[in-house]
Order: sequence, then C-alpha cells, then structure tokens
Amino acid sequence: MPRTTTIECPGCPPLRALTFDVLGLIKVIEAHGKQGGVPKVVERWFEPDTSKCVLAASINDRKIDPLLAVARKSGVIEVCSPINGDVRFTVPNVSDASLRAEDDAVVGLHLFSRQKLELTSRSCTLFTCTTKGNASMRSIEIADSPEGSASVGSSRTWSVCASGNILCSKVDGSENYALFGGKGVEVNMWDLENCTKIWAAKSPPKNSLDMFSPTWFTSATFMSKDDHRKIVAGTNNHQVRLYDISAQRRPVISFDFRETPIKAIAEDLDGYTVYIGNGSGDLASVDMRTGKLLGCFLGKCSGSIRSIARHPELPVIASCGLDSYIRIWDIKTRQLLSAVFLKQHLTNVVFDSNFADKEVTPLADPPLNTKQIANENEVSDDEETLPVKRKKASKKDEGIKKKKKKKKATKDSEVPEENEESKKGALKEKEGSKKLKSKKRSKRSKYEIVDDAP
Amino acid sequence: MGRKRKASESEAEDAFEKEKENEEYRNKQQQKKKAGEIVPSMIRNKERRSEVHAKLKHQKKVEKRKKIQARDAAEKRALELGEEPQPRSVPRTIENTRELDETVCKPDDEELFAGNDADEFSVVLKREGTPKVLITTARFNSTRGPAFISELLSVIPNAHYYKRGTYDLKKIVEYAKNKDFTSIIVVHTNRREPDALLIMGVPDGPTAHFKLSKLVLRKDIKNHGNPTSHKPELVLTNFTTRLGHRIGRLIQSIFPQDPNFRGRRVVTFHNQRDFIFFRHHRYIFESKESKENNSEGKKAKDAKLAKAPQEKVVARLQECGPRFTLKLISLQHGTFDTKGGEYEWVHKRNASPRVSDTLYAFLPNLYVSRKWTQAEGGFSCNLLWNIALNCLFRGLEAFFGEEGWYLGTRC
Repeated sequence: MPRTTTIECPGCPPLRALTFDVLGLIKVIEAHGKQGGVPKVVERWFEPDTSKCVLAASINDRKIDPLLAVARKSGVIEVCSPINGDVRFTVPNVSDASLRAEDDAVVGLHLFSRQKLELTSRSCTLFTCTTKGNASMRSIEIADSPEGSASVGSSRTWSVCASGNILCSKVDGSENYALFGGKGVEVNMWDLENCTKIWAAKSPPKNSLDMFSPTWFTSATFMSKDDHRKIVAGTNNHQVRLYDISAQRRPVISFDFRETPIKAIAEDLDGYTVYIGNGSGDLASVDMRTGKLLGCFLGKCSGSIRSIARHPELPVIASCGLDSYIRIWDIKTRQLLSAVFLKQHLTNVVFDSNFADKEVTPLADPPLNTKQIANENEVSDDEETLPVKRKKASKKDEGIKKKKKKKKATKDSEVPEENEESKKGALKEKEGSKKLKSKKRSKRSKYEIVDDAP
Repeated sequence: MGRKRKASESEAEDAFEKEKENEEYRNKQQQKKKAGEIVPSMIRNKERRSEVHAKLKHQKKVEKRKKIQARDAAEKRALELGEEPQPRSVPRTIENTRELDETVCKPDDEELFAGNDADEFSVVLKREGTPKVLITTARFNSTRGPAFISELLSVIPNAHYYKRGTYDLKKIVEYAKNKDFTSIIVVHTNRREPDALLIMGVPDGPTAHFKLSKLVLRKDIKNHGNPTSHKPELVLTNFTTRLGHRIGRLIQSIFPQDPNFRGRRVVTFHNQRDFIFFRHHRYIFESKESKENNSEGKKAKDAKLAKAPQEKVVARLQECGPRFTLKLISLQHGTFDTKGGEYEWVHKRNASPRVSDTLYAFLPNLYVSRKWTQAEGGFSCNLLWNIALNCLFRGLEAFFGEEGWYLGTRC
C-alpha cells in the first residue's frame, strides 16, 4: 500500500549544519525553535560544477572569525567563512605542478583551531593528506586585502606511506598527532611536531583457515578529545577495531558490523561511544569499552553513509551520504529527529556550534515564531522560553556571555534529560514495542523448552 | 452475577437488534422479489443461476451505458448553450491520493540538470558516444535463459552476447572497459528460469539489481509481431523521483538516442508503484473514415483526436515480446562489487518498528503520484492506452524531448 498520509518527524533543537556535495555545493541547514523545529535549507553557496566536488571539509568554529576549509576535486583548498560563504583565500593542494590534482585527491583535511606558531590572529594552519600519502602542514597568513590572496608562511611536506592508498586521516583533539590508514596501509600515527612516525599497527594474525584478509581501512577516528592513544578504525571487510597504542600493536577489540564496509566513524564526547555507518546505510552506536552494540539508528536510510557529525553541545548527530538526505538523530533515543532532502550525493557534514549563541529572532519570520510557541506549548509546559533570553544575552556584553557559557557547561548534562522528557511519548511507544518483543522472546523460549523436552 | 446478567442482557439486546436487521433485510429482499428481481445466489440450479446472473450483468451494463450517454448528452447541451458543463467526478484511487514526495524531480531544478550533465550516462545521452551493450549470464544458463537473451538481443540494438564461462564478473567488467562497452546486462537464472537482471554502466556507472518476474517470451504471446532491425523508440513513464530519474537514465543509456521512426518500434518501460513493466510493440497509424455519428460515446474522443472530423487516425499496436516486470532491489555506486560496494539505494524491508514507518516502508521510491505531472482531465492509467496516446500525439516527433521523457505522458 502506498503512503497516503504525511509522516511527522519530531523536529530537532535549534542547530545549524553545513553539508557538502559532489557538485561542490555547500548547503546550510538551520532549525529554529527550542523544540520541534523543522530544519530547512537556508542558503546555498557556489555554483554546481563537478570538478569542484568536495572531498573533505573541516571547520574551525571559534567565536571570533570562524573558518571553514573545503578541499575540492580540482586540487584547490578553499578557506571560507562558515557564516556567509565568502571565500577568504584558496590554496593549491599540490605544490609541484607535475602531479595532477585528480590523481592525488585530498582525503584528510584539518583546520587547526590552536594558534600553532604564535603568529598574528589573521593566520591559520592547514593540515592536508592525499591519497598517495603526501601529508603537509602549512601555516597561511591572510592578507588584509579583499582579493583573498594569501601567503604561505611555513610549510612542511612529508610522505606517510610508500605504497598503497590513504583513505582516512584524522588529527586528534590536542592537534599534536595525526593518524593515517587506507588500502594496503596499516593504521599509523605521526607526531605533527617533528613529523615522525610514532606508532604503526600490525595486521591481525591469519584466521583458522589460514586466510589473510588484506589491509583496507576505510575510516578511523580518535576515541576521545584529550587522549590520542585510543583509535577506532573501520575496515572494508566490515570490521571495527579498537587500537590502543600504549598497549599493543594489534587491535584490542575487534568485531564485525553487518556486511558492508564501514564508511564512517565518529566519536562521542563521552570518550567511549562511537557511531559507525556503513555502505548500505546502517548507522549504529557502539560502546567501545566492551565492543557491544548499543543500538541501531532505525529509519529508512538506504544509501551509503559518508559522514557522521556529532553536535558539540546538543545530544544529536547528523549523518549524510549517497541517499542525498541529511538525517538528524537523537543519540539517547536513537530516533530520527528530521531529514532534509538535498538532491545531490553528499560527502560531508559539519555542525556550526556557534549557531545557538547567535540571534534567532531576526531570521525567523513572525508566523514561524508563533509556530514555535505552539510547538513549545504542545511539547512541554515547563520548558523555558530560551530564545527570548538569548536575544537579551546577545545584546549584552561578552562577559555575561561567558558566564552563560559556564552555566551551559554545567547544564550540558541536563540537556539530554530534558530531551528525554519531551520524548516521553516516543519512549512509551518504544517500550510498547519492547514489551511485545519480550513477549515474543518468552514465547520463543517456551517453544524451545518444548522442543527440548521430548 | 451482575456482570453476567448484564452480559446476557446486552446479548439479548444484540440478538434483538440482529433479528431486526435480518427482518429488514428479508423485507428488502422480498420487496426486490416483488419488483421482479431475483437474487442469483438464491437459485440452486446452476444453469438457471448463471443465466440470471448474466442477465443481471447485462442489465447493469446497459444502465451504465445509459448513464454515460445521458452525461455526455448533458455535457453537449451545456456546451451548445455556452454553459460550463458539470465537472466530471474523478475516482479516488490510491494513486491520486498519495502523498507528494520531496524527492520528485521538478523541471525547473537547475541542480538536477547540472547533476545530469555530470553523471555517468551523460556521454551516451548527449550522443557523444554510441551505446554498446554486453549481455552475459550467470554461471548456469539453460532453457528459458538463452531464449530470453536471444530476444533481448533483438530488442537492444548493438548488443553482444558473450558466454559467461567461468569468468568472474569483475573480470568481465574489466574486459568491457577495455572494449569500450557502455553497459553490461547480466541475466541471472535460477532453476532454469530467469529471475534477476543486473544492469551496469561501464566504466564507472552504477549497478542496478532488479528482480525479474512474469517473463513471457515472444512465442507465448498471442498474435505477436516480429521486430525489425530498426532502432527502437523508448517510452519511459513515471520515473519521477530522484532515484527513478537515475534508473530512467540508466535504462535510457542502453538504447541508442537516435531512433529510426520509420521502424515504428517502441520499447516501453512503465513504472507503476515501483514495478517496472517492460513491453515491446510495433505500431501503425491507420486513418479510418469515421462512421456517421452512430455512437455518441466516441464523439468526445473524436473532438479530442482529429481536427478534421471526417478522418480519424488510429494507432494500432502489435506486441512483439518479450514481456517482463522488473523491481529494483539495489542500486550500487560504481561497478559490480558485492564486498566493498557502496549502495546508493537498497531495498530495506522492515526498516523500523514504528507504525508510521511501516507505512513509510511501502513508500514508492521510483514513482510518486502523477498529481502534478497530470494534464487536465484524468485519463485512464491503462498501459496500452498510454502507449497509444504517446504514439498518436508525439507521432513522428522525438520521444526524447529535453524534459519530456521523465515527465512521462504529459500529452
């Protein structure tokens, strides 16, 4: 039976996400309203052009002068503003012209948030890694002229691997170390200070059939922000492995997830949960302390997941991929909050965490406002009318802002609870289904007993 | 006790009501009988029963015709008087009450066209290269498999059959890349019956995996024709969503983009609720002298079709097999790779336990209501009728207008 009624999604908290697609477009998705805001595409930057397909993106969402770096297929890295999409400057990816940009695509890109070399505030440091294993660190001085010319201050280039293709590369939270892995390349870690390899994984032993599975890492991430020693990596033969570089060179935990390659891995803020997405659109969260699956994110997600992003404050994650939807999920209930169709195959998604601090009311239209209020009334009565407060805060000094931030930090732990409250209905539903399941299970067990008895 | 009593009381009431209803029903029946109508199911003799049934059916038919005639007459009168005729009631169907999907391709979407210009099929579809198709089978192939392939070879121009042998499919893909093939079709046979079709774009096109069912070969079709070697015209209907659009382009890239309209051969892929129906026809235009107003029912059609009232052009169809139905199972990014492949779309059965999502699971993926593609006045969804309309209205014009084909029948 075809669907003849609309499907309501619960809506998501106010957030702002940027997505990047194969046509080189950047789309900005914003959701307004405290609860049940419907995310919409508010802006679209750049013109569609396949040669400008976005390969990697990195955001530095600091309070003042945030930056967004975008690596394109044509071999340039554009650094633009995540607020209005103006390109600040472009940097060529490969320094020597002999290499063609298409052959040596960028796989890893990181925009340093820390001021590395104690330069002026108008500089930034870029870390890139290409498929062939050419890693480079460049600090770039932004000229004040509006043309967007930039001078490369200092740059260091080194080769990470002799053979094979790098497919994933990541920089850790303290920004001192980077990891690399790929097809034919075991996961290895480099010290970015002095460009030395400090650790490399060892391939797992042959299995009982004396078969050796070829090395093929498709995604990797650091487990927590302040600890660079634990790495989670996903392989092409659907394995998820946890490496601890202080313990051993072989994986500490290794388990299978479904039947298609693990295409995206993202870590949670708590330091032990990771989100994994695979080639057939399955998304799940896993507790890496035990290697146990916490649960799958159920929904009609049917295309390969290319990127997962965790919101730095709110308890939501966003996933995007070849089904050209960006989906926003609640991490506690693992429920789909909303999905936006973006027409193209998406390659990356990032969150702009500063959005909540920004003005909300001027962007929202008056009818939307009323809707918000209605929604709030529906959802919960004890909910504070935060948008108004925020408006006041934005007018006041920065000092107050900071205070507020501190408050927020303390509140952070409360936020999920609130959310849970608001989704009691959904929970109840879930409980109902669980009950059913348990009933079924009990039945099954009875049957089993019956079977065993004779 | 009390409860029991209540229960019995309510039962009694129910029984009473039922009796009442029954009585009413009986009364009605009797009235009917009195009016001379006999319910055929009450007759025990089969011959008599069927006789009466046939009679009733005929009566109904006559009544319906009368009703239609009266409506047409009223319409005509209204037109003559210069009034607005009463709007015809459109039947409410599942198809036209379906929810609109946000993934439906719109003709004014520049992103869509930019995406089209850059996708894997653009080389063939912009006529920069000619399609060349490699047809092969699964490891085992017998009985209906080879027969089906020989018919496919006659349907698809520039198709070459290669024996599968013991080659890996990935090796075959490599071979096809070297030999400048543009697509590969793999017919999978199970229990001597073709049951799946793999259509692959080469060198980097997507891989679509279809379930194949209801296969009828040419020789099993009554009054079938034999196709000529002309390049066929292609009709793709209802490939409206983004996924459907992509599948449509994949199918389109198998066939040459410059059909010989002299050949009057038409290949149809008709999508209805995610099932893709394949038909292959020959058509002919026949001009008939229209009869002198003997049937009023055809008048409306006359006014619609022919400008000259004396001459009526009729498109006649002859089917020349095969006939089959496809259903998409998965669409894979890149060429065939079961282990490391990334899927653009996979059919997931029970995606979610929630009720609303179980409905969601049945959401059509290729095709959504023709609500907005529909022209004025709902016409029959009949497949043959669609084809006939296509042939008539587009006639010798190209079927592949820039935006025409994916909007389906817009005539």
